[in-house]
Amino acid sequence: MPATSRGGTLLNDTAEARSRALNQFLKSVELKAYKIAQAGLRHQDDALDAVQDAMLQLARAYANRPEEEWKPLFYRILENRIRDMQRRRTVRGRVMAWLPFRRDEDDEDLDPIAQAPSQDVPPVARLEIDEAMRALDAALEELPNRQREAFLLRNLEGLDVAQTAQAMGCSEGSVKTHYFRALQALRVKLGEFEL
Amino acid sequence: MNAGEGESSATTPLQLRGLEARSRLVLEAGLTRIDAHTRSRLNQARQAAVAAAARPSYLARIFGSLTSRALMPATGAAAAAVLVAAFMLSGGHHLTSSVADNNPASALDVLDLVTDDDAMNLMEENDSSFYEWAAAQGDNPGQGAAQGAGGETT
Repeated sequence: MPATSRGGTLLNDTAEARSRALNQFLKSVELKAYKIAQAGLRHQDDALDAVQDAMLQLARAYANRPEEEWKPLFYRILENRIRDMQRRRTVRGRVMAWLPFRRDEDDEDLDPIAQAPSQDVPPVARLEIDEAMRALDAALEELPNRQREAFLLRNLEGLDVAQTAQAMGCSEGSVKTHYFRALQALRVKLGEFEL
Repeated sequence: MNAGEGESSATTPLQLRGLEARSRLVLEAGLTRIDAHTRSRLNQARQAAVAAAARPSYLARIFGSLTSRALMPATGAAAAAVLVAAFMLSGGHHLTSSVADNNPASALDVLDLVTDDDAMNLMEENDSSFYEWAAAQGDNPGQGAAQGAGGETT
């Protein structure tokens, strides 16, 4: 085999391995990322858009960075995207409030089959999980944004303090403080559920 | 107003670790309840991102082909010469010194905590439980939660 052809094959193998690694990484974070985006935006389509944008930006700009850097980078991009969308929504809300005719986006017809939850959980446990999830979701909604971000990045995604600080764009001390405040607030709110 | 203010004095690190572990279980269980439509759209988004990573941008394609065909040998040799010159001039000293600089991380961590604005607020609110909790807290959330919540750690 000629040398240039061997070199081309090596490059292709490397690119394929990189693509596989990226696919694997994105697959490992996509559900958690969606949950985090949904908690911040409280809208399914916006949350999906935020995750999609974060995936694309990571793939385009940082796919060649070392794999261990992907997770904090991805969540940094996602948190920025969520904040942008929150700001834009605030502005849009102010503008829309002045318009006489407007349609509520939540009125869109949804396919009930597609909306059905995954069937992985046994039915008996489902009710208890439902109740606990509702309580936790409601409590998370009431948290200030930074506390919720710190709590979900640390507790759901399992980032360490340094990675969370990188993802949130703040100091490690701030992460600890936000996280502690979030825990305290959740304990007060969820006390009666013994969550 | 910060959520949870005024009731922090009753919170112990053990209670917080238990809450961490139990809420993590609920959050992880919640992931399995995400509907098929959402999973499908996430899958499509992932495939699009992976395809985008494999496809170089328009400019990269133009300049990439130029450099690979005509400029690669010359630019490679020039870059290597610059790197060798820089290493010789510095005596390779700064390449090793950064390793030694990494050690005082724990001292900086404490300084970071003490100088942080939010942490100062907690101190002013006389919330000593934060420092008790921070001292007991490892780098990973829920570390030591096994004692407080039946051993659910990741």
